[in-house]
Order: sequence, then structure tokens, then C-alpha cells
Amino acid sequence: MRDSRLEIRIGGTGGQGLILCAKMLADALAAAGKRVAQSQTYEPTSRGGYCNSDLIVSEGEVDFPLATALDCLVLLDRMAVKPSWPLLKPDALVLADTRLCPELPEGNRDVKYRVHHLPLTRSAIELGSERVANIVALGALAAISGMCERKALERAVRADTPKSFLDLNLDALAAGYRLGEQEPALAATAP
Amino acid sequence: MKAVATLERETRLLQGNQAIAEGAIYAGARFYAGYPITPSSEIADECAKRMPELGGMYIQMEDEMASIAAVVGASLAGAKALTATSGPGFSLMQENLGLAVMGEVPCVVVDVQRSGPSTGLATKPAQSDIMQVRWGRHGDQSVIALCPATVRECFTLTVQAFNFAERFRVPVVLMPDEIVGHMRENVALPLPGEIEVVDRKAPAGPPASYLPFKPDEDGIAPLAAYGSEYVFHVTSSMHGTDGYSNNDPANAAWRVRQLHEKIERHRDEIVLTQSYYTEDMDVLIVTLGATTRAARTAALEARAQGIKAGVLQLQTVWPFADREIAALGKRARMVVVPEMNYSGQVAGEVLKALGPGADIRRVNKFNGTIITPQDILDAMLRPAGAQTQGNQP
Repeated sequence: MRDSRLEIRIGGTGGQGLILCAKMLADALAAAGKRVAQSQTYEPTSRGGYCNSDLIVSEGEVDFPLATALDCLVLLDRMAVKPSWPLLKPDALVLADTRLCPELPEGNRDVKYRVHHLPLTRSAIELGSERVANIVALGALAAISGMCERKALERAVRADTPKSFLDLNLDALAAGYRLGEQEPALAATAP
Repeated sequence: MKAVATLERETRLLQGNQAIAEGAIYAGARFYAGYPITPSSEIADECAKRMPELGGMYIQMEDEMASIAAVVGASLAGAKALTATSGPGFSLMQENLGLAVMGEVPCVVVDVQRSGPSTGLATKPAQSDIMQVRWGRHGDQSVIALCPATVRECFTLTVQAFNFAERFRVPVVLMPDEIVGHMRENVALPLPGEIEVVDRKAPAGPPASYLPFKPDEDGIAPLAAYGSEYVFHVTSSMHGTDGYSNNDPANAAWRVRQLHEKIERHRDEIVLTQSYYTEDMDVLIVTLGATTRAARTAALEARAQGIKAGVLQLQTVWPFADREIAALGKRARMVVVPEMNYSGQVAGEVLKALGPGADIRRVNKFNGTIITPQDILDAMLRPAGAQTQGNQP
């Protein structure tokens, strides 16, 4: 049913691991008994072009499986702003990267949406690879939204990470949680 | 209660295309020959990994014509075989798909539907191959076609596709759209034994008297495997019960009728539909594939506005669910048919089923984007007689 429906978009550019990020989150939510449907932009463009990965979460089987009104939006690149902003629900949670997405549409920012500007890619670079910005974002999103259990998310990250990247990904997840936990709560209502 | 029990089992986050490959394996398929094409390539990818692990075979062919030819050959040699493709590749497969119809060769062809015409919008979804699936081959013939709306149905309807192919000795087309093929959902896959798996009927008599096209009481002839002690002949030309060319008019009439009747006789077993909220409905939405998901949401939102809407999903597209639609349509004041094509390929069949005078509302999108719940609601709220909207530019 629509009441329990939660819509999440991870937006950025191709190659940032947007689909992987959504898959890990989907696994963590599924472990808690939620039903999920994950989809993505599918275009001849990949690296460098606009991409998003969407996740619809529901208590029962997800009916319409694509995004119609976003509860949560993660912006890992400015290219994702224009196609995603019109889909935001009032009071939606927005996480934007300070470095690659410094500007957000003016006017209703901080008013209509709960916007957190976070150094996601910078944290990833400090950890040694910008490639794990998606995992930093995952940690920050989970910390701020409280939508899934940290343990379940860690399990999902472990399950979907090659051995050689495991330590880096777990560090990235922890860094994301730290960023998220430092943020003030912007509104009383959970997404 | 059943749904809860299902959820308690181990679930996997699986893409529609992956679920099709897994369903094929569950059904006993051990041969895949194909030529990758978006948005079907993940099926090839999965089969390339899984078939060899299971002692089966994966061959990347030089093109789609060769792919279906290899599938027909593998099936005649006794294997359950499949290929997967999309629009342009499916067009190339038609000739040998006709051979499979004529030779009564069980096989499964997956056509993950994308936007055309021609190479069209290669990565975008459509539901515009509905008539091609039915009539794409020359000559008067019949196939079975199934269309999944969820990742779980990608699995279960693939098993069903093989079961129908094996039972009725006919090619079966599975026709998901790109949305369902590329969507991931967490699903509890059926355990071994949970869904019945049907194998083709083997001949029992002495090899010397085997007639590969002589139907049993049920209208279907047993099929031996090439390489077995049963030696037999298959030709694309008109043939008699022994498989050898036969141009006698009486034989030709019998053959063409038999190719149709073996499906028509078992029509009630083959036509699979799923109903949502239809018990008290007075507005019926007839859907297939991903559009079903939009329709389910639209029906709930319509109910919130006081319109009693229900959904009939065509899991089997061919043979067409005309009787099921007529039965439900009689109780409805309006029938809405959303489909991702311009020409209303399903709506035309719905009109045939309901007859003139029915208030049929077409919702067509043909720009590579999905029909939304709102598109369907808008059609319900239009005054009677107002025609369908086109696509917004």
C-alpha cells in the first residue's frame, strides 16, 4: 500500500557506483523484511553522464516500481539535480556532496526539504579513493534517516564487496555514519 | 498467511533478466545459444556463467538467425533450450521460429521488449511487439506467449513457458518489457519441487513404427531425441505423420488445423491471468507487463476517490484471454487498456472480446517512458467518447 511506501534516489554520474549503493541498501532493508524494487537510468551514456538508481521500499509487494515522489535524494553530482529536484516530496531528505554538487536550487532550500550538504567525496578521497564516495553516502544516509540497522547494512556491504576492497568499504561506511551522526536533526518527522 | 510464510524464506535481490535465467535452469534448460542485445543481455550473461556449471552449454552465436537455429537443433537432440533477444534480434529469428512451429519443436524465446521501430530507442521500454509475437512469422500458425510483471513472475512464468513448450511441442515466447527485465526485487525463489516441471512426452513403441507427427489422444505427438534409437525426419515443408514431405491437400489441411487445435483444445489450461480488486469493480483495467504495476496503484488511488477499479493482468498474452475479459468486462461500465505502444495492440483484441459499444479507454505511450498510475487515472476520469491523449512532447 502507498502508506508504507518510501522512495529513495541515489543520483550522480555513471561510474560512481550508484546501482551498487542502492543494491546494498536494498539488501539491508530486505533483511528487515521490507519489500524493495530497484531500478536505474538505462542509457547509451555511462561514465560521466547523468545516472540515477532508485529504490522503492514497501511493507508489502511494491506496486508501481518506479519513482514518483522522492522521500530521500542523494546527490553525488550536480548533473542529478535537474532531473531529480521536481520529484522531491515536501519535507524530503536531501544529501548533497559539497564538492561535486555545491549548488542547489534556491528559494525553497532548507525550507521545504531537509538538506544536508556533506563532504562525501572529500571523505572518500581522504580514505584513499574517491571511488568509495557511494559507500560514504550510504553510511550518511542510513545514519541521518535511520531507515535500516547498521549491522544489516554492514552485512550487505560485506556481501557485495570484493575482498581487496572490503577494508576500504567498511572504513567508508563508518566515515559516512560519522558524517551523518554529526549532522543536526533538521525536522522532527522521519522520512 | 501465505505471503508471510514466503517472506520468512531466504530472499534474494534479483534482476528480472537474472530471474529468467534462473527460471530456465529450474525448468531444466541446459542449452542457451544467443547473440547479446540490450535490454536482454543479462540473460545471456547469467546463462554463460550458469549453464557450464550445470553441465549444460552456452554458445554465443554469430547472429540471431543462427541462435534460434541452434536452439531448434538442441531441442530436437533432447535438450530444453532457450535464447533471449530484443526487437531487432527477434525480427531476425522469425524464419526459424516458423520452423520450430512447423516441426513442433519445444523451445523458449525471450523477447525483452524495447522501443522501436527498427533499432528505435534501444535502451527504452515498450510493449509494441504484441502482434509480432503472434503473427511475426509467415503462414498460418500459432504460438504461446507469456508476459511477466514482477521479478518473481520472470522466474515462475519462465518455468511455465518451458512447461507449455514441452507439453504442447510449440515455441513459447516470454515477452517482458525492459522495465521488468532490468528491475531488481527481493524475491523468495521457489524451492525444487515447488513448481511442477513438465518434460516432453517420449515415444514408447518400437522405433521402427515411430511417427514423430502422429498425435496421441491429447493432440500432441511424442517427441524422440536425435541420436536415440528413434530415427526421424523433420522438415519445414508440409509433411505427414512420418515427418516426410507430403503435399496432399487433405494432409495439409489436417496439419494446419492440428497446429492450431493442439493449443486451442488446451486453451483454458494455457490462458493465465491474475486479478486484483475485481470482486466489486465497475471499472476494469486490462494490463500486461510493467503496466500492471501502474494499474494496481491506479486502482487503489481510484478506490480512494470512490471509483471501484479492478485489474486483470494478462500473464498469458497468446492465446488471448478473450473469455476472461468478456466475463469481467460485462460487469464493468468502462474498460481501460494501458499499453506502451501507439496502435493499441491489446485494446484491439479487447474490443474483439467485448464487441462494439463497450466503453474502452485506450492509454498509449510510445516515447520510451512508462505509463504512470496518473495516466491511467486520467483515462478513467475522461468523459465517455473523449479520445486518447497522445504523448506529451
